[in-house]
Amino acid sequence: MSLDPIVQAVSHAFGGLLLAGAVTLSLLLTIQSVYTLYIMLYTWDRPEAYRRAKAPARFRPPQKSFTVMLPARHEEEVIQTTIERVVRARYPLSLLEVAVICSADDTGTIAKAQQRIAQLRGRGVENVRVITFNNRPINKPHGLNVGLRSTQNEVVTIFDAEDDIHPDIFNVVNTVMLGEQASVVQCGVQLMNYQSRWYSALNVLEYFFWFKSRLHYHARLGMTPLGGNTVFFTRAVLKRVGGWDEQDLTEDADIGIRISCLGEAIRVVYDDRYVTREETPPTLGQFIKQRSRWSQGFLQTLLKGEWKRLPTLGQRLLALYTLGFPIAQAALGLYMLVSLLMMFTLKMPVPVAIALYLPFYLLAAHFTLTVIGLYEFTAAHGLKPSWKTPLVMALGYLPYQWVLAYASVRATARQLRGINNWEKTQHIGAHRQAEPLEATSSPTHGGRDARHSR
Amino acid sequence: MRVIPDETRVIHHPRGGDQSGLRTRGQDARRPQQPTAGAGTRSVGLERFLLLLCLLTGALSHGYHLFLYPLYITDEGIYMQQAWSVLRETRLSPYTYYYDHAPAGWLVIAAWVSVLPHQFETFGNAINTGRVLMLLVHLVSVFLLFHIARRLSGSLIAALVATFLFNLSPLAVYYQRQVLLDNLMVFWVLLSLYLATSDDRRILTPLLSGLALGISVVTKENAIFFVPVIGYLLYNQVRQRRNYRFALGFWLFTSGAIISLYFLYAVLKNELVPSHLNFNLNQPPADHVALLYTIWQQLHRSQGSMLDPHSLFWTFSLDAWLPKDTFLLAGGMVATLLNLVQGLRDRKRHRGQLVVALLATSYAFYLVRGSVMLEFYVVPLVPFLALNIGLLVARILHLVPGRRWLFVLSAFVQSLMLVCFFTVLLLPTGGYLLVRDEFGKVVPHDLYKLPLTPLQEQQLAFIRAHIPPTAHIIMDEDLWVQLHDVRPYYPLAHSHWKAASDPAVRDKLFARNWQNIDYIVLSNKMLSAMQQNNGDGSENYILEALQHARPIWQLTRGDISLAIYQVQK
Repeated sequence: MSLDPIVQAVSHAFGGLLLAGAVTLSLLLTIQSVYTLYIMLYTWDRPEAYRRAKAPARFRPPQKSFTVMLPARHEEEVIQTTIERVVRARYPLSLLEVAVICSADDTGTIAKAQQRIAQLRGRGVENVRVITFNNRPINKPHGLNVGLRSTQNEVVTIFDAEDDIHPDIFNVVNTVMLGEQASVVQCGVQLMNYQSRWYSALNVLEYFFWFKSRLHYHARLGMTPLGGNTVFFTRAVLKRVGGWDEQDLTEDADIGIRISCLGEAIRVVYDDRYVTREETPPTLGQFIKQRSRWSQGFLQTLLKGEWKRLPTLGQRLLALYTLGFPIAQAALGLYMLVSLLMMFTLKMPVPVAIALYLPFYLLAAHFTLTVIGLYEFTAAHGLKPSWKTPLVMALGYLPYQWVLAYASVRATARQLRGINNWEKTQHIGAHRQAEPLEATSSPTHGGRDARHSR
Repeated sequence: MRVIPDETRVIHHPRGGDQSGLRTRGQDARRPQQPTAGAGTRSVGLERFLLLLCLLTGALSHGYHLFLYPLYITDEGIYMQQAWSVLRETRLSPYTYYYDHAPAGWLVIAAWVSVLPHQFETFGNAINTGRVLMLLVHLVSVFLLFHIARRLSGSLIAALVATFLFNLSPLAVYYQRQVLLDNLMVFWVLLSLYLATSDDRRILTPLLSGLALGISVVTKENAIFFVPVIGYLLYNQVRQRRNYRFALGFWLFTSGAIISLYFLYAVLKNELVPSHLNFNLNQPPADHVALLYTIWQQLHRSQGSMLDPHSLFWTFSLDAWLPKDTFLLAGGMVATLLNLVQGLRDRKRHRGQLVVALLATSYAFYLVRGSVMLEFYVVPLVPFLALNIGLLVARILHLVPGRRWLFVLSAFVQSLMLVCFFTVLLLPTGGYLLVRDEFGKVVPHDLYKLPLTPLQEQQLAFIRAHIPPTAHIIMDEDLWVQLHDVRPYYPLAHSHWKAASDPAVRDKLFARNWQNIDYIVLSNKMLSAMQQNNGDGSENYILEALQHARPIWQLTRGDISLAIYQVQK
């Protein structure tokens, strides 16, 4: 008896199953992409969300006292400038307390920080100190918990060592907290060096859309994965939530979700003038490590399951979607390869082929959005993009997606193998190079266009 | 940093700005007065009442006599046949699809039919079923046109006049009842305009406007002529908004993405370009059809421009369109010209007039430039001529002075003038509703009294009673779905168009031999269509069969003639 008919039937059935699976995945990815696009455009689409996102036009008199925590590890290059920027903020020094937090073995950073502290003391600035810790794990959330226990002011905030903060950031938060009785305020963070590397513009724009739009959508639904810096908590809410999870690689998103579980409203403020400026990772390797850490942290938070305590189904679904996004990203990367392969190798009905193309249309929509975002971003910050930038973005777009997909796969593999170490991102201060420290009131920062109300 | 003020400069006016709907000169278009709360409520109430009235009028003018007049035509049959193929065969056409039209129109028809309980036969026959969809589409189009006119002019008078003409012009009713891609295209264009004129400041709205515009183009390609004007309108609508980059970008993206699906379909079928990139119009590629070849062919077809007195433009204008409604065509052209002049002189103040004039002009350009034309190609011009007249009439009536205590008097005078305008058109002077017959007696227009389609139903009944289902039949498309979808099926009944041009029918089924034809079912004017279509001799064998045939059924009424011939072998 010939086996050919059986082989043919099996092959036919396998082909059919493969196609059905691909179409289902394609439709799911299409829906997911449409949703992602919508939340990326949320504040542009909703005039009321945009109005709410803006910083107050007039500031209230300083009243809240702030603890500024600067967790740092091997940040010799940038830590002094960061300390300087914080103490130069337009806010009474008597209401500020600055703590540089390092592990005890990071002698380089500690030395640089203390050098600057000594200089400041010479100028009469006494409210900056270094806090060190010895025990493990040596990571940011551990440092933050140590800092939390060793400080006292009413509002606790975090800046990363490479951050360029706006001098009026404390006035913004003071006004919002007093006016709205908010216990958590997340302000905007923005990568600036969009022309440094081939992936820089795409990375910068991810931040741009995340902080300018998507976080506001999260805040409206009451499920806000917070950012790692320029976030302000009342000490009371931090105590209520029990500080940061030291095992979580994205302790910022995790604490945001846990605070959301408490039913605390989180206010998100994004105003181009007051963003905290940061830099993209200096090398592709650093970028992959950073992205792997975020993806793994999201997976950890997903697996911990605290998001299940969110009060409403909508919030839980949003948490599931957000924390599971690295999986979707990996799937999209894989899908692009597999579907391209299938299109050239499998014979399929035209409607099926069109269905397989849908995610590519959404990818094109995402690219369009990103390019328009480039012009929004540069206009908002008084920059002028070169004609080459969109071209570089176009050429780098698909490789960038694959890099993200790879980082997601890497994160999943690390999680499955139980590797949980903190892969630190290197900072070189690329966002600072063109800007002397003294230029704190440049027009792009808004200068003194917001005033204290009396 | 460049600061973009979050202000929207709209070219229309808030609802409340027009207290009575009959805006007076004192209520300048750019500075609408702030109405009191009561006046605003009255205005909204009046607007809703008038809209309801317009919808009701549209339902009556298009719904009454819908299945009886006009005659079912070839193109109605083609679109229903292709919708049939989508549902029954999951193909775009039962014959070779050669990209003569983009498919979105009959996909919509197929979607409509698929939800009906008895599908193609729900309303008696397939074309009736399609006509009910046209009625629904017309009603939605009335709603859209009303709001577009209102938004572009700030005047209820403009909205009322435009929808009156759109509802009752005999030219409009005649073609809008028919199952035509043009009617569906007009709906999508109006939807795109409606969304483009919205001032909700969202991105989603321009995005959907682009989506609708893209669908309009893949419903009927000549919608492309509206794209620049709608782009211009949208640009002016959103450019002062903080999200204008996204609004314009996604408008363009969605329309382009939808249109690209048509090309993607061709790519997937390996039918985008002809074999060996052969674009020679004298030697069409024989091995497979190609989208770009068809487009190339269509771009090079000409039946005479407006400068040629024998062109189809003049033939249709003088023989078909002007006799149906001289006022709409002549008045609409004059209104378009005046709106255009006024709009160009002061674009900021008269942006609405400029836009409606450009809409009409851009499509008129398509008509006069001299491509191949069919009689119903006038359809997309109708709403835009109506809009131009509406906006012009509104401007004229707003010349009536009406400040403060004169307001009531002014509104009364305007209403009176409007009633006179409508009455003149409805009475035999305008011929919209009532006409004088050959005896001088005032009677309803043929649209509302003359039953024509029963003649075609008699023809179909004769076929079913006297012709065996196995017969080889040449006919027109209007009967196609009935003979293929209702038992007993007539699988060998094909239209003369396909029998002349589709190799699968012409060469394989009939082998270009008249003796392979058993019956010829002649619909109205089919013989002349066959003769006109016979430039390459492809209809010769059918005409030869006709010479060997004898009539077995005939029916003539007025200038309508139907017949069935049996070929004598």
